[in-house]
Amino acid sequence: MSHPEESYGKALEALRNKNYRAATGFFKLAENQFADNLDFRILSEVTALLIAVKDEINEIVNSGFVVEEIFTDGQEAELRG
Amino acid sequence: MSRYQVLKKLESTLEGFLQEAVRPEKVSIEGKRTIETLHEIAGESLRGRFINNQLSGWFSQNSRLLESKSLSESDITKVANFLGSIKSGLDESDPESIKLSEKIDDWRSRGVIPRRKLILKLKPKTGDKNLLNEFMNLLTKESQYINSGEFDNMHLLSALDDILRSAELKNDSMYAHLAGSMIYYLKANGYKVEPFVKRLKDIEQKRSERADK
Repeated sequence: MSHPEESYGKALEALRNKNYRAATGFFKLAENQFADNLDFRILSEVTALLIAVKDEINEIVNSGFVVEEIFTDGQEAELRG
Repeated sequence: MSRYQVLKKLESTLEGFLQEAVRPEKVSIEGKRTIETLHEIAGESLRGRFINNQLSGWFSQNSRLLESKSLSESDITKVANFLGSIKSGLDESDPESIKLSEKIDDWRSRGVIPRRKLILKLKPKTGDKNLLNEFMNLLTKESQYINSGEFDNMHLLSALDDILRSAELKNDSMYAHLAGSMIYYLKANGYKVEPFVKRLKDIEQKRSERADK
């Protein structure tokens, strides 16, 4: 990748396609040039946060402890772990 | 609310924020604003004012403008014309101005090139009277093909690769024309297109050899 600008553009395209992990990779390639650019920092940091949240969700799902709330007639009946 | 639900809600909020932030319409409005700013800088330059700081700031703010694909061909031409006008007013003996001038050259090398109106002075031949209609029909056919769903979410380079393959296999000149158009667009946006140009030339060569037989 020769231009950090090109990486930034690809990061935006990846975000539009909801390919957040790819976007993070492209943000990293562009970060030296855009460290002072507020838009860049917000987008790259929110993307990193979103990935962390997704990882956390996956961890919960894969741990087998998906907490399911069971409602009966509108009332919470029990919590299953 | 369980931890899982909180995380799901946060995930949805963050995704919503990001999708809104990169919405093409939003980027496009920003693109228009940025052209207006450059227009103002060009105006200041024409009035003989010192614009180096403003121009430097503009470059720094808009370094991703081309890659964001938010500018139309006409917008790119406007940017190119403003930059050309600014460049002619830069003091070539000043190191900072030289740096800015080189930056303008870099943008030109990435496709931001001033364009002139092309005026055709030859009258059309009588037999060519429907050529414009035929061309418009071809563009419509190409547009329908691109919108057929086959290329959804595909990068333009991958789409071009597929279309070149179709051009090799099918006896329809639309594919070669479409490939040529895409190659031109990619080149104007700074992509390396030489391998595709070579493939297209080979295809045209084979087509012409077949026609001669």
